[in-house]
Amino acid sequence: MHAGTSTHDSHDVADHIHPPAEGFVRKYVFSLDHKVIGFQYFFTGLLIMLIAGSFAELVRLQLTDPKGAIMSHQAYNVMFTMHGTAMVWLVLIPLVTGALGNFVMPLQIGARDVAFPWLNMISFWIVPIAALILFSSLLFGGPHAGWTEYPPISLADGTAGALWCLSIFTVGISSTMTGLNFMVTIIKMRAPGMTWTRMPLFVWATFATALMNMVATVALSAAVGALFLEHVFNVPFFDPARGGSAVLYEHMFWFYSHPAVYIFILPAFGVMSEVLSTFSRKPIFGYKMIAFSSMAIAILGFTVWAHHMFPSGLAPWLQIPFMILTYAIGVPTGIKIFSWMATLWGGRIHFTTAMLYALGFLITFSFGGVTGIFLASVPVDLHEHGTYFVVAHFHYVVAGGAVMGFLAAIPYWYPKATGRMLSERLGQLGFWLFFIGLNGTFLPMHWLGLEGMPRRYASYVDFAKAHPDGVFWNQFETVFSFMMAASIGLLAFNVIWSLRHGKLAGINPWGARTLEWTINSPPPYYNFKKIPQVFGRPYDYDQPLPYRNTDNAIEPFPEYGKVVMPTPAPVGAGA
Amino acid sequence: MAAAALHDLSGHDAVAARYHDVDAVYGETRDIRLLGFVFFLLADCVLFSSFIFAYIYLRVSAPAWPPFLNGHQLPWFDTSFAAMNSVVLFGSGVTMHFALENWKHLNKRKFYGWLIATIALGIGFLLGQAHEYSSVGISWAGTTMGASFFTLTGLHGFHVFIGVIYLTVLGIQVNRGVYTGSKYFGLTAGTLYWHFVDVIWVALFFLFYLW
Amino acid sequence: MNVAIIERGAAFLGAIAVGVSAIVQLKNDWKARGLDADVTKLLLGLMAFGCVLALLAAANVLGARS
Repeated sequence: MHAGTSTHDSHDVADHIHPPAEGFVRKYVFSLDHKVIGFQYFFTGLLIMLIAGSFAELVRLQLTDPKGAIMSHQAYNVMFTMHGTAMVWLVLIPLVTGALGNFVMPLQIGARDVAFPWLNMISFWIVPIAALILFSSLLFGGPHAGWTEYPPISLADGTAGALWCLSIFTVGISSTMTGLNFMVTIIKMRAPGMTWTRMPLFVWATFATALMNMVATVALSAAVGALFLEHVFNVPFFDPARGGSAVLYEHMFWFYSHPAVYIFILPAFGVMSEVLSTFSRKPIFGYKMIAFSSMAIAILGFTVWAHHMFPSGLAPWLQIPFMILTYAIGVPTGIKIFSWMATLWGGRIHFTTAMLYALGFLITFSFGGVTGIFLASVPVDLHEHGTYFVVAHFHYVVAGGAVMGFLAAIPYWYPKATGRMLSERLGQLGFWLFFIGLNGTFLPMHWLGLEGMPRRYASYVDFAKAHPDGVFWNQFETVFSFMMAASIGLLAFNVIWSLRHGKLAGINPWGARTLEWTINSPPPYYNFKKIPQVFGRPYDYDQPLPYRNTDNAIEPFPEYGKVVMPTPAPVGAGA
Repeated sequence: MAAAALHDLSGHDAVAARYHDVDAVYGETRDIRLLGFVFFLLADCVLFSSFIFAYIYLRVSAPAWPPFLNGHQLPWFDTSFAAMNSVVLFGSGVTMHFALENWKHLNKRKFYGWLIATIALGIGFLLGQAHEYSSVGISWAGTTMGASFFTLTGLHGFHVFIGVIYLTVLGIQVNRGVYTGSKYFGLTAGTLYWHFVDVIWVALFFLFYLW
Repeated sequence: MNVAIIERGAAFLGAIAVGVSAIVQLKNDWKARGLDADVTKLLLGLMAFGCVLALLAAANVLGARS
């Protein structure tokens, strides 16, 4: 607001104050406050999750009959395409980076907002626009080619394919800007005394995520941008008939989309570090190893993309290094898993909802990780790539990893965000529904895949003839998938119900030690009355809190003029 | 710790030592915006790199380059004209640098002169590109050569076009007195952007005209 | 081609002038500190390299199409 209007050298601090928002629109719609933006991401993501989840249920219903139970094969293709696309780009990325990163990260580093509040607001508002573009493609028949939209098959999608590209391009811009914003925030705006090795592990995870968001998403934008040009202007990048290369698209796509799975999972890793340590009442085991393994995953994550392309006829001299690098990326992940298990060892474990989800994460994510190691091997991958084994692996990692981590984060930070506790009873019921539903849905997919059931088929008559039990297992999966859906519905109900009826939370209901638990719940718009001074790591449960200036009781409310918020100036213009 | 001043006034002295004639909060804010802008350029660089990767991939895997269309091999690009046009763009980078140096030395008249020269050279480059496009003899939608050439140079030309507008806005802002001798972040950012666009052209010039 | 010779001549002389200016600026800025100065130095250096490329192209050393 003040950018460009401050024309004199003599202007003082007052020019940089961004005052509390007033009016409904400024406060809740076009808010600059990172906490409100986090809420906006959360509710948008949850809403799109309900839509994309219902697509998945339609897919499951179709598969209860080998001939296809409820819809045409075309409609089935559209359903699984839209499910994958919406879940990856419009649910997971907004939820784990947008909602969690925005709400928690600035609080944990002791900042009053992110570095560029305006950019943050724009990044959010791009997401609903991208969602509208994506869902409007249904009016044109919808995209058919799967969430990867590989050409040349996706080139047959016409307008719907072009809208798909446009949607992903727009949401990519949002991710890039969020990544940039978080990078600058974490590098420049940590509270005094918070050195890199004193940051909470969630902040480390967010930093690694932001790095990948900033660098990799642009490559995706280029890939879908080129595909858009091919759709609309008939420019030959990927069409083999005119000298283009479909494998080129796969390279450009996976250069982003492999890091994308780490973009989902790293924030969940960060949540694990916080939740497991808090509810074991024990210092996190191997702080530095966890922090550095996040960075190792972020960097190694850029070197493994071609393992998605083994069946595309990649040269053997390329396959082998990608296989070895993919094995290697299991090492930092394993370091984390073992560090968390060592954190639990000998701790006083409190079985809250958040902790249950965290423990469930350890089981299901390890499962998905192990099948990932199977699939990294070229011969196994060539055999399994087109089957449900890959679907099982992917969903164990994403639903059993990223979503599970996110579901652990909701009950953990909900009291801070709203001032009220989520209902534990509903939450724990939700956990058991989700955990059993998840395993019931995706575990049988492993053996269906090993028996050779092909993925992305609207009917599986031949497979069912060869393996009569396949029909039973598919129906079994469908039943359990509705348990998962019920759990998400229960969560949505719980979130809304507890806003009014939850128990009051107070400042620190969990006895946790990171900075956000030293301020009121919900935090005031300026977060910290006085910026805290940090002199230690947040995980040493046998020590006093390593902060100065965080006393909520005796610190008088500061004069409004002394709260200096990050300036909402544009990035590139103005003095 | 550097972040102090943005939030409280306690870190004032430490920062004031660096931006001695600038207030502490401004110094912090400027650092933050600068880093954000450099990261933006980095992300933009990845965008160009992706398309450059696509071009190299398509060219290396093509059976013949320039490729054939309807039985005729396409012509090469005009290296001599491109060399001249490149020098126009590189020259605009040098003039922009002069402009910022003159601003730092509080020489507003010379700053205007060099800024106008930069904008003029930028427009000259764009006109040169227009000439190139009209005389190149290949089309965007025809072959992979046309696809990568027009997409990459078009993306770059778009950046130059945005840059011309950006610099013009900066000139107007200067005229309105937005910037002072110690607070001129917009000019720094504009210069960085312009240099960045020049350097992208170095890569494109080599890859399309010299390789 | 006459036009091409004029273009190459202009590019040759221009590249020398611009390249020398860029290198002089680089030398003047060499001791400057700060992120903006570092990035500027990097970009100026690359631009000077671009001038060398333009020079070689104008001299028909690089990019000579038979």
